[in-house]
This record gives sequence, C-alpha cells and structure tokens, in this order.
Amino acid sequence: MFSSEVRLFGIREEPYIIGIYLPTGAYLSTQRLPKIIQPQSAPYGAASIVFPTEIEQDSVIFKDNTATRDTMQDRVHTHANGKRWTLDHPELGTGTLPITPYLSAEYFEQERQKIFTRTWISTGKKVEEIPQPGDYLVLDIAVGKTSVLLVRGKDGRVRGFHNVCKHRGNRLAWKDRGACGTGLMCRFHGWTYAADGRLIGVPEEDMFFDFDKRDYGLSPVATDVWEGFIFINLDPDPPETLHQYLGEVVDLLRGYAFDRLPLSWSYTAEQKCNWRILRDSQLEFYHGKALHQQFAGKVMINKQQPSCHVLDAKLFRRHSMMSFYGDRRNTQRTPMELLMAQFGASFKTFPGMRDMDRWPLGVNPTRSRQWFFDIYYIFPNFHLVILSPFLFVAHTMLPETVNRSTWNARGYFPQPTTAAESVTREYNKCLARDVWLEDGSTLENTQRGIESGVLSQYPVQDQELLIRHAHKVAEELLANDGQAG
Amino acid sequence: MADTRLPEPFADLEPLAAVWALATETERNQQRLSSTMAQIQAFYDTLLPRMEAVLTYLSTFPPEPPAALPQEARRLLYLALAMAEITTAVELHQQPSVPAGFDPQRFIPDHERTKR
Repeated sequence: MFSSEVRLFGIREEPYIIGIYLPTGAYLSTQRLPKIIQPQSAPYGAASIVFPTEIEQDSVIFKDNTATRDTMQDRVHTHANGKRWTLDHPELGTGTLPITPYLSAEYFEQERQKIFTRTWISTGKKVEEIPQPGDYLVLDIAVGKTSVLLVRGKDGRVRGFHNVCKHRGNRLAWKDRGACGTGLMCRFHGWTYAADGRLIGVPEEDMFFDFDKRDYGLSPVATDVWEGFIFINLDPDPPETLHQYLGEVVDLLRGYAFDRLPLSWSYTAEQKCNWRILRDSQLEFYHGKALHQQFAGKVMINKQQPSCHVLDAKLFRRHSMMSFYGDRRNTQRTPMELLMAQFGASFKTFPGMRDMDRWPLGVNPTRSRQWFFDIYYIFPNFHLVILSPFLFVAHTMLPETVNRSTWNARGYFPQPTTAAESVTREYNKCLARDVWLEDGSTLENTQRGIESGVLSQYPVQDQELLIRHAHKVAEELLANDGQAG
Repeated sequence: MADTRLPEPFADLEPLAAVWALATETERNQQRLSSTMAQIQAFYDTLLPRMEAVLTYLSTFPPEPPAALPQEARRLLYLALAMAEITTAVELHQQPSVPAGFDPQRFIPDHERTKR
C-alpha cells in the first residue's frame, strides 16, 4: 500500500512522536517531520503524517512516547521489524511451557473444580436461538457434571437452570431444544415448572408432608448475555458479573455487527484430545503459512517483516487479542472467487475495508490496510475471530474429560436476499469448513504425540503469546483457588 | 427429483444435475468425496462458463428455504450449491478432500439439523 499519508490509530494519549525511521533506514526526528495532522475527533487519539512522496506504509517505524513524557522512554510503536510482543510482558517470561497441563488427569480435575465450575464460560449459543417465551435449549456441560436448561421467560429474560427435577433428581427436559409453553413437565412423576423456574404443578400434592412448592423451584445457574452470546457460571454466587469479567473486551468490540449477522453455519466435533490442544489450535496464527498454506500462505507474505504476522496484541486480565497482518488481495483470484465477489462477498479475497475508520476500536485496532483478521480469546473457552465487517467466527470449546473435548465452530454471515446469495454464502461456508478441517487434523495427532512422552516442554514463539498468557491466567486461578488474582 | 428438470436455459446441464443437484451439504460433500478428481474437474469445467448465467438467473429468486423456490429453480440452486462445495477441491486443494484433513463425517453440520 503506497501512500503519502501514514495514519496512526489506537494511541491512548495524544501521540507524542519523537521520530520515525524511513524505509531507507534514515531516522527523522520530530523537527524534521514534514507535517503532522491531528484529527478533530479521534477517540483514542490519532495522527496522520503526510510525506512529500509516496512510501510504503508498513515500512515506517515509529518511535514515540505514549507512556509518560517525563520518562521519554523510547519504544517502537507499530509495525516494527524486530518487535517482540512477548517482551512487553516481562511477567510472562520467555521460557518453555510445561506439558503436564495437557496430559495430567489430576491437573484437569483442578481445572474442572477451579476454572470451569468457577468462572464464566461460553455456551456458544445466542439469545435469538430461543426467541419466544418458553423456548429452551439444553446443554450437557460434562465438565460441570450437569445438564443446563436455558429458557426464555415471559418477561423476555434468558435464565439458566440445572436441568434436574427437584423431586427425585430426574432429567427434566429431554430434547436439546424445544418450547415449554405453559410449563415444563418431568416425565417421571409429572412435576411441572414455569419458564422462570418456579414449581407450578405437583400431581397429588396433598399426599406430601409439610410441603411448599416454593421450596422446590429449579436450581438456578448464573446466566448472562453479552452481545447476544449466552454465558453461564456454575458458581452459584459468581464474584463478578459477566460484563465485569469481560472487562475491556466489552468496549473494544462495542458496535460490531454481532446483532446483525445471523448464525449461518455451525459444526460440532468430538475430539479425542485435551481441551488445551483444541484451544491452542485457534489461539495463534503462526501455523497459517504451513497448515493453511493454500488459503493463507500468499496473504501472509510481508516483505518488510517476513517472520512476523502480528499487527497488534493486547493482553487483558483474563482475556487477550491478536490482530494479524495479511493482504487478501495477494491471494489468487480464481474464477469462482471472482464470481462470488460479483454476486455477493467472499472473505477469502475481500476484507471489506470500507468505512474502516468507523469500525469498533477493537476491530483492526491498528487500522492497517494489510489487516487479515483479529482473534479475541475470552478465557477459558470462547474465541471470536473477526474476519471482516461481514463475517465473524465463534469457537466454543468445552472439555469432557482430560482427553476428550467438544468443538463447536460457527460462522455468522449476512442473510442472503436472493438464491444467488445463498450460493455465495455456501461458498464462504465451504471455504471456512475446509480451513477448519485443516485445523482439526492436528488435534488428535497432537494428543497422541504428547502422550508418547517425547515432549517434555513446549517452546513458545512470539506469535504464540496468547497461549503463554492463557497458561499464566490458568496457573493464577489454580493457585488462588479459582479467584481472580 | 427425477421428474423435475432444470430451467429451460440450462437444460443442457441436466447430466450434471443428475449427479450433483443434491439437497443437503452432507450429500453434496459425500458426492465430492466419493468422486474422482477427474469427475470433479469435469463438473467444474462444464459449469464454470455457465455459472454467471446461473447466478444471474438465481438472483431473481428468493433465498432459502429452497422449498420456497419453484422446483426447476430449486434444482438449479442445488447444482450451484454443489459447485460451491467442489470449488475448494479444484481451486484450493487440487484433490477431492482436504489434504490430511480432519474426517468431515465427524465434523457435524448442526445447521442442517436445525433447518429440518
């Protein structure tokens, strides 16, 4: 991308640029910069630098001071050759990671007790899947040793309950989805519950002793919603709300089209592997050039930074994000690809950069024209992959046992308006599915590989920073008995 | 489906439709995986020059559910969806299946179940 204007975004304070490196290697101090423009209404502060001649945007290295002016601490800000994101987080170190958490049944039991049953976990479901009062979904949460009933009440609110009749403990709802109308009745003795969990019907109630229906409502499961995604917390008394738990992610992604892109495809696979193997497989894109060579190889080529494909990385208290370099215009414009773009859209070659300045702050946060996609990892089991304003992917991963996991991969894509657009949607779906089949190929093989005992540790590359961070988050939760550190 | 035909302008594609105009992703994917690359390439090569006309024709019809379409248009839609299915085999993988990929029969398309 050649331009005479280089734009800076995502700077938290007024940018205080002390100099830049030009592609030639020459250094320009502030005094010698041609012109700096400060836009009027940039939310986090932004600047444009206008050069007298066209330059390649990614070849400019900024040195700035966005910390404090007092320290005048120079640091490379964006797109810097030699940048190591991990070194911004010295608390994480650069050492190897242990294999034990991926293999040990004892470790998994600790994770089960102190993470998966103590923190907010994604169900992967969205509120529109239970649109009417009385509509319900049933989720078997093996890691919590329970079945959870998600039901929309007459008041429109989505509630969660243990799917257990309070009489003798039978499973209440047997189908994985349905509509309970005036009540949900247990097949065992006919006890009936309202959508808000109240026990409303007990056959031959007068035959019980000292009995009050109010004492036998369904046991609630903490349930909350963010951008339409339903989360649960098996801790009966969560120490923080879902929005508190999500923290900065809420602001960074506010305004994205989560409410306008319908669920368009969803695949589920049982995997004979530890949940961390599954989780890690979608937590870095170091693998893109190799595993997804046909789809992503050419897109990822960056002459300025041949080894680094990360535009930005942000680590939060629990969660994390990474933004990836890629120029989808570099991929081969195959005949069908061109047709799909003509009659609809294809995320393979068209990122849809129009109106980028108005995107949520957290989507393509560096506002690079060479933006491929962003990964948001919501600890512990939810990945949002934002590939375009018109396509995002949601992965929900849940452990079953130490070496079995469930992977649900979903695509959210615009609703077709014609039968031709149904075809373009199918094309996007098949493309995403085939990429996921490549991802899936590694999982059970990796499990077998580490079970062989050949590996004693994982070396972690800079672009696998999110894996390193996720390990630290889990270690802290296990050390603090599941409490936020 | 046997007594249904493609819309008249696409009648010459009937031999392809007889094999590929299948109603579900699972069926289309199974057809892809049980075909040789030569068969898939022949399907692609035959339909590609007509694909713009197919999509232009389908642009005049509402989207899914396919049941909302007239039978002939629906058959053409199924054929075009099969083209979307095999495109990655031709344009990306150069073989019917994803190379060394995860077993697609274990990658369950929930969206098909929900639609029914």
